[in-house]
Amino acid sequence: MSALLDGAKRRLGRGGDVPSRIDGLRSAVEAARGRLDDGLVDDAAAVAERATARLGLSGDHTVVALAGATGSGKSSTFNALTGLELAAVGVRRPTTSTTMACAWGADGAGELMDWVGVPQRHQVSRGSQLDGGKADRELEGLVLLDLPDHDSTEVAHHLEVDRLVRLADLIVWVLDPQKYADAALHERYLAPLASHQEIMLVALNHIDEVAAVHRGPMVADLRRLLVADGLPDVPVIACSAQHGDGIVDLRRAVAERVAAKKTASRRLMADVRSSAERLSQVNGEAKPGSLDKDRRDELVGALADAAGVPTVVRAVRTSTQRRAAAATGWPLTSWLAKLKPDPLRRLHLDLGSSGKELTGRARTSIPESTPVQRARVDTAVRAVCDQVAGHLATPWATSVRRASVSRSQDLNDALDKAVAGVDLGVSGTPLWWRLVQVVQWLVMLAALTGLVWLGVLAVLGYLQLPAAEPPRHSGLPLPTGLLLGGVATGILLGLVCRVLVGWSARAKARSVDRRLRAAIAEVTDDLVVAPIEEELLAYRRVREGLATAGG
Amino acid sequence: MTDSTTLVTTLSELREALARVALPLDVPEAEQHRRTRTEMVDQLADYVLPRLRQIDAPLLAVVGGSTGAGKSTLVNSVVGRRVTEPGVLRPTTRSPVLVHHPDDASWFDRARILPDLARTTGASGDPGSLQLVPVNSIPPGLAILDAPDIDSVERANRTLASELLAAADLWLFVTSAARYADQVPWDFLKAASERSTAVAVVLDRTPPDAVDEVTADLARMLTARGLSDSPLFTVAEGAPDAEGLLPADSVAEVRTWLNLLAADADARAEVVKQTLDGAVRSLARRSYVIADAGAEQAGVLAALRGDAARSYDEALTRIDEASADGTLLRGEVLARWQEFVGTGELLRSLETRVGWLRDRVVGWARGKPAQAERVTVAVESGLETLILEQAESAAERTETAWRSTAAGRHLLTGADADLGRASRGFRAEAERSVRDWQRGVFEMVREEGADKRSTARFLAFGVNGLSVALMVVVFAHTAGVTLTEAGIASGSAVVGQKLLEAVFGDAAVRRLAEQARSDLRGRVSNLLAQETARYHDVLDGQEVDVDAAERLRAVARRVDDHRIAGGAGRGSA
Repeated sequence: MSALLDGAKRRLGRGGDVPSRIDGLRSAVEAARGRLDDGLVDDAAAVAERATARLGLSGDHTVVALAGATGSGKSSTFNALTGLELAAVGVRRPTTSTTMACAWGADGAGELMDWVGVPQRHQVSRGSQLDGGKADRELEGLVLLDLPDHDSTEVAHHLEVDRLVRLADLIVWVLDPQKYADAALHERYLAPLASHQEIMLVALNHIDEVAAVHRGPMVADLRRLLVADGLPDVPVIACSAQHGDGIVDLRRAVAERVAAKKTASRRLMADVRSSAERLSQVNGEAKPGSLDKDRRDELVGALADAAGVPTVVRAVRTSTQRRAAAATGWPLTSWLAKLKPDPLRRLHLDLGSSGKELTGRARTSIPESTPVQRARVDTAVRAVCDQVAGHLATPWATSVRRASVSRSQDLNDALDKAVAGVDLGVSGTPLWWRLVQVVQWLVMLAALTGLVWLGVLAVLGYLQLPAAEPPRHSGLPLPTGLLLGGVATGILLGLVCRVLVGWSARAKARSVDRRLRAAIAEVTDDLVVAPIEEELLAYRRVREGLATAGG
Repeated sequence: MTDSTTLVTTLSELREALARVALPLDVPEAEQHRRTRTEMVDQLADYVLPRLRQIDAPLLAVVGGSTGAGKSTLVNSVVGRRVTEPGVLRPTTRSPVLVHHPDDASWFDRARILPDLARTTGASGDPGSLQLVPVNSIPPGLAILDAPDIDSVERANRTLASELLAAADLWLFVTSAARYADQVPWDFLKAASERSTAVAVVLDRTPPDAVDEVTADLARMLTARGLSDSPLFTVAEGAPDAEGLLPADSVAEVRTWLNLLAADADARAEVVKQTLDGAVRSLARRSYVIADAGAEQAGVLAALRGDAARSYDEALTRIDEASADGTLLRGEVLARWQEFVGTGELLRSLETRVGWLRDRVVGWARGKPAQAERVTVAVESGLETLILEQAESAAERTETAWRSTAAGRHLLTGADADLGRASRGFRAEAERSVRDWQRGVFEMVREEGADKRSTARFLAFGVNGLSVALMVVVFAHTAGVTLTEAGIASGSAVVGQKLLEAVFGDAAVRRLAEQARSDLRGRVSNLLAQETARYHDVLDGQEVDVDAAERLRAVARRVDDHRIAGGAGRGSA
């Protein structure tokens, strides 16, 4: 597209920044589609397309349309300007039913006339050098169209006029003393084209039928009406096609604009600008808010709650405590800890990340979120929307809101997956558990040794067999010391470890909580924040595009 | 005579019925129907009713047409005197001029015809007044009204012209060689043809060399549009004299025709009857259209009301379900409740050891009012969150539903408040309601326990503890227990229930729970009713009368009956 536009830029030459404006409008249209009113977006798209097409055609030519009511003398004016009797003139209304075109300077004009939609048989070309006099050279680059009327009972004519008024580079409104104040003209055409006054001329035809004293006031009256339409700068030329009065002025006014070759790009500029303005009005000017940390944290918190993060964290803590107690407690009693149920197993989270493959479960067994939790999530999502889009124009506020809940169907599954996907780190056994375990068993062994020793001594004593005196250590017999010391150390170690286990279980729970929340935050960003950001990006693109197009 | 009197009465009723069918909603085509309705009311007041009351009044010929077609010049030339000011500038803005014979003056005062227009005797630029000009050159029994143009940028002119044309016994339609194929005048002529108004067409300002061709073309167009019976006059383009009058022979044809009509009472009556019958027929026909439009509006209004009601009913149902199926007990409330009654493990042995548990619970609960308080707070915040969110989403659903229709969109734009959200003070209202409910539960327990104050168990739990237990029982009402934790929840409720039964006895507990539940439901539905009222207020402000359409249809049917009976009667006479 940009290559085409570059080419067009060269061809239309003085187009200035028209191509970039068109690009701006087009990107705004793309971003606005489905979000702003379809009718307006379609209109803007059509404008962009039309403008691009016109840019691709001859920039040396200016399409001038003679438009007006039935009987205003468009065809007579056409003939008077061309100096030919090309257009049929008559008293029967409406006279002209098809558009007639005449081009001066053939190079590229044919293409242009085809684009305008004038059939070949109604096209006339004037090779300027061959048969032209001074008048023809003056009009070099003109493509003159004789339009049908816009106010007769023939509806097809109105449609043709509507179409061509959108395409012509310069519109000459041919009015007459009887009809110059018609609502059909002012309300349907002139007032809506207020943004296009640079590319319009008004010719008050049939001026010869008005008494000389009334001509001045009539032109002034027409100007008053034009000002009321919002067209104060449109030149008014009084003329009579039939008698030739003022035709020279009209021809000069047209010729000047044709020679300047600026009208085409002015028209496109006016088109693009007014279209951008119309879109801007519904688009609004407000800056979107940015999502602050508090709102996002609140949302993540609500989702974490709904996803059962506190339940999982509590389970991790209990489970860790249980396993650690079993590993590090006094071996004689620590087996008791294993009898308590593992809360993680109940949630089907005890097998770690590979557990799901083993069990083939699609979901964890974390309880479904409650209505209150869901309500909290909805409230948090709504608060996020309010913050970023609360003050945008209604269509955008609506589309942001719609985007925010667009993925809510997937939310439950995604949250569950996120929770299940976090490595809870409950399968491994830390080194210090093993060390403690070894120590426990060693101590146990020592106690056992003491017990056996004492047992042997007791049996020997009972059988009255001589036995070696057991060595003493600071007054206590060694086997007794081993037994008592072993048991006491084991129990003591178990108690000390219980405290350590409590600490480490809490630390583990905290780290799991952190990781779970990070996973939930990721889901939040994917399913809630990202769609919202997408809408905001579209909004920014529309605004930027419109700023480029209309600025 | 009685015939025409009943018709007048019926038509007056029609006018009232029409006025009562308000069409305030912006449904598609509403604008058009409103315009039609105004036109009809105006035509009844300006023309049909006055005409029926005084069937012998002079024939009113309204000269209408485009700006610049030469209406004023034609009127002046026919009258033979400069009675109205022609202008070169378009559009000529001035009050319409009614030319009549001095003897007929009494027929045209304000009480009789066109009551909305003030009467003046001098020329004025005020389009809200009617200038009366008595002249002798016009025959008695005929009045000519020079109306403003029908197609200029002056909206006031167009409106007034339509109104005046609706009041005409005869349209004298003026057009010109440049104008005769214009769309706007033909729209008027089409309407005239449909209403069988008597029309005469005057082709004015035509160059002599074009007269034949244009006349033929115009006649063809008239025939094609069902106006072949209308007389067509041609006024040759001639230079006006110093007075601004056309040469007498240019307008002789028109003048003669008008004079003949004025002289022949039967012909005049025929013209009046044709136009009047047409007007009444068209009024009756259009009444049905307006009645349909009115009924449609009532339907749209009902649909919008239904949208709001449905959204809030859904909200109420959801809150109801959530607060009764035990799910509210999970999460925060459950945790606090378990803290209150003891640890979760204790509950497991519940079935076998209720008695033991009860005592444990007593022990735990004693001296723990702070924990009862925490359960209360958890219940409060859970309920609030639930109610708030449901109110928000109900508002959102209603807005979405309304926004999908043109009328709804318009109402939303016109509304003072943002109807897509819960009302501004709703959060505070909801908080207050929930706290009031809790206070109610508290009072209930206090009253119920008045005579049990001294029992050990009552003392052990206190009013606070028992209130909390009652709330928990309320929330686990239907407890469709399948999930593990819901099971625990219902387990908690069982604890609560046992606890309360131990104090009050089971019948009392059932009654208390029922009472507390219906109290909560009542409060929530009150809250939501206030929210729904915002939508109803907007709709009520629209003044759509549901019965008006039916009444209008009935009156229109009577007009039709009367018309047909009258027509048949006249036909046989």
